[in-house]
Amino acid sequence: MTSPTDADWRRALSRFVNVIPHTRELGLEVLEASPRLTRMRLPWHEDLLGDSARGLVHGGVLTMLLDTACGSAVLPALPAPEVCPTLDLRVDHFRPAVAGLDLLVEARALRVTASVVFTEGRVWQSGQGDVARAVGNFVRLGPRNTPPEFAQALFAEENDHA
Amino acid sequence: MPEGIYGVEWLARTRDDRDLAAWLELMPYARRIGVSAQPEAQGEGLLFRLDPQPGNVGNVMLPALHGGVVAAFMETAATLDLMLASREPRLPRVVDVSIDYLRTARLVPTYARCSLLREGRRLANVTVTAWQKDAAAPVATARLHFVLGDPANYQE
Repeated sequence: MTSPTDADWRRALSRFVNVIPHTRELGLEVLEASPRLTRMRLPWHEDLLGDSARGLVHGGVLTMLLDTACGSAVLPALPAPEVCPTLDLRVDHFRPAVAGLDLLVEARALRVTASVVFTEGRVWQSGQGDVARAVGNFVRLGPRNTPPEFAQALFAEENDHA
Repeated sequence: MPEGIYGVEWLARTRDDRDLAAWLELMPYARRIGVSAQPEAQGEGLLFRLDPQPGNVGNVMLPALHGGVVAAFMETAATLDLMLASREPRLPRVVDVSIDYLRTARLVPTYARCSLLREGRRLANVTVTAWQKDAAAPVATARLHFVLGDPANYQE
């Protein structure tokens, strides 16, 4: 396979988050993807609240979003698609995200070693500045533990999905 | 938007009643992922539960729960546990979360228990352990810091 373009990666990661029931149901959208950077948008929804009296987003939504974005950013950074579960994740909450605005996230893989991928990410809302940042490390399970369907599913032709 | 609640009196009353359902009512994301809480069979603490909902899946091949959903469950547990365990009625606001994933979380009920390691005047440190079929084989552990907000300052 020739090496995927950024447009290929955007489509591949869109499929990736659309196969994951939780992010599909929340309507997570991939805006941009490359070995350098992955950017996504989580549309505003009432269900994202963690404090409906004060209109604040649940902190866990940000953790979920950062885990998804950092885990997705791992894929274009690898020589070949590999299943990489989260080893650990640290999220710093600068301030609460507020009701009514989409959540934007970007993540990058900082370093790929033989066993681990080191990533970082941040979340913000339009005009509101950063609300959280994360550092996440992901384990490389290796080609032997990655089913061949994994890469096929990422780069399947659009019209293969009936 | 609920009115006339979430003030000092409401918090003190729901706390006295150990009315965790009233607190969860104000946490739509926690309800969406299926978090519930009940008093421990033995002891003073709370046992939290995450329903194995299909919408919580993060890996369809295994299948496994989304690690971020497990984290959100544990953060919800830590927040509610702290609201009940703090010396005075307080509204905790999360400062940071650190989560270690120990095992794949399968599509079965997940449980969590919290421990308030330190409660200062303004900050608290809470640890959470989550497991599924076997409490001795946790799927994740987490450590969280919270700022303890005075409910009197949240009157808007």
